[in-house]
Amino acid sequence: MRGNPGDGLLLTDSSVPSGPAGRAAGAQDSSGPSALVEHFFRREYGRLVAILTRQVGVRHVDLVEDAVQTALMSALTAWVATGAPANADAWLYRVARNYLMGALRQDAGRLRILEAAAGELAGAADNPAFPGIDDEVGDETLRMLFICCDEAIPRDSRLVLALKTLCGFSTTEIALRLFTSEANVLKRLGRARDRLRAVSPDFDSLPLQALQPRLASVHVVLYLLFNEGYLSAHADRTVRREMCDEAIRLTTVLTEHPVGATPETFALLALMHFHGARLAGRLDGMGGLVLLEEQDRSLWDQDQVRLGAEWLQKAASGETFSRFHAEAGIAAEHAFAPSFAQTRWEEIAELYAMLDRIAPSPLNVMNRAVAIAEWQGPEAGLALLKAVAPPPWLLGYYLWDAVLGDLHRRAGHKKDARRHIERALASVPTDAERALLRRRLASLELSPSPFTRAPAPAPTSPAPASRVARGRRDR
Amino acid sequence: MTPQWMGANKPKETPMSTHKYLCMYRGAPSQDKPSPAQMQEMFAAFNEWKKKFEATIIDMGSKLKSSGKVVTASGVTDGPFAEAKEIVAGFMILGADDYEGAVAVVKAMPGMQMPGACVEIREMASF
Repeated sequence: MRGNPGDGLLLTDSSVPSGPAGRAAGAQDSSGPSALVEHFFRREYGRLVAILTRQVGVRHVDLVEDAVQTALMSALTAWVATGAPANADAWLYRVARNYLMGALRQDAGRLRILEAAAGELAGAADNPAFPGIDDEVGDETLRMLFICCDEAIPRDSRLVLALKTLCGFSTTEIALRLFTSEANVLKRLGRARDRLRAVSPDFDSLPLQALQPRLASVHVVLYLLFNEGYLSAHADRTVRREMCDEAIRLTTVLTEHPVGATPETFALLALMHFHGARLAGRLDGMGGLVLLEEQDRSLWDQDQVRLGAEWLQKAASGETFSRFHAEAGIAAEHAFAPSFAQTRWEEIAELYAMLDRIAPSPLNVMNRAVAIAEWQGPEAGLALLKAVAPPPWLLGYYLWDAVLGDLHRRAGHKKDARRHIERALASVPTDAERALLRRRLASLELSPSPFTRAPAPAPTSPAPASRVARGRRDR
Repeated sequence: MTPQWMGANKPKETPMSTHKYLCMYRGAPSQDKPSPAQMQEMFAAFNEWKKKFEATIIDMGSKLKSSGKVVTASGVTDGPFAEAKEIVAGFMILGADDYEGAVAVVKAMPGMQMPGACVEIREMASF
């Protein structure tokens, strides 16, 4: 699993100021017959795929997706002429279901399967009542989520499958969001579909509760989904927010069902809310980089911070302390800190240590070193990093070098600083971060005798003396 | 039965346009599969277009299904019997003073940016 290297001093963002939020149909005129809520088509896609897959079986998910796609296209044509009907969701369900039945019938080889499913479908055949927005639909969505999180499917494919079937993104849109090629998305999707086609019909009759062993996999996929939005270098702010919102939506559904209502799930949702609350503050409106240190904390969404706190409290109800608890705790420390200077770095350092015990990764050590550097000075952070033997992948990771470069710079080790910053520059993924690294590199040259100071004696004050020194860097 | 669009879109007794034009969409429907998000954008764009030209659009018309019948003196066959790119896939009726006015509406239609989009406009004889 990818770490969450974002809460240290290199909490960075690249973004462009977005104009009015995504142009949704009917957004300007919410009263007219043509008005549709934001993301209506995408949401309906996910919902209908889940409902119909439940009806005809997981192995037909390809046909289900085609039918839903066709139904949405029909809706587009029909509704342009007449306006969307009041019961647009029921309309879509009926049309998609008819297409699906047609497709199943057309395929002679599937006749027997159709007969097998006939019992279930017979009731709805004459009166294709829409299941409605009740618990059942939530259940279908959850079931689809658990289907996507089959351990037999490679993890990357699980994420892609969830984005496709549950969130209603096209392969092009997924490629754009995951910074990969469409061919790669199709390949991943193909692997997932191969597996789903082989799922036994017996699987379809299992109660949702029987899928609980997949919960850990569900958590991983939701976590990835959120991080793809949150840590993304994507320039479009609405695109990023959208991914985070999808993750929060699905995780919330998960908390509402016994199959998913566990302390881990609550902690995961708390984590998402704490990070989500800070999303607006991470954008500087000029396409530039916003360090955590420089963020305007008044932009943080306090309602969402409160939600995070509520879920974190629920998460603390049991004996469990998962990696999500640790990460939510770290995010909570940042969210509740009145300022960067008054952040409780010692708590954060400790939480990273706990996280590393649960889910060992050199990235946790790196983030802990960053917190310790804030708390006890750059030398203390460097001492911790010296004890790490970084694996090859980490050596090629720009953030590792960027952190080392900055700590060396602040400690006055100009040569080491230059070496690491230059290495980070070689693979830095975004323009904004490149600009920051260049700024730091330039500052090495501008100050022949860089400001140095003795490491602070382990301060108990919430505002360590090192902050005074830090104020001089960068600008 | 009155189509739903009439209430919302038909101009109220405003016979400012003097001519009617039949617009025929030609060619097989696009094989492109827009994503749900794109569909939502298209829906919004179409509605905007419709609103802008509501005084001109007399009948939004309809898409036509791909199969049909052709009746001649010698009998009835399955049709339509045209090249795929010539098949009439849909129609609408505009009211405008001249071809220029009708063309402007069609050119502004969101679907016209699609590759291969083709609309034939013919004035309807009023005698």
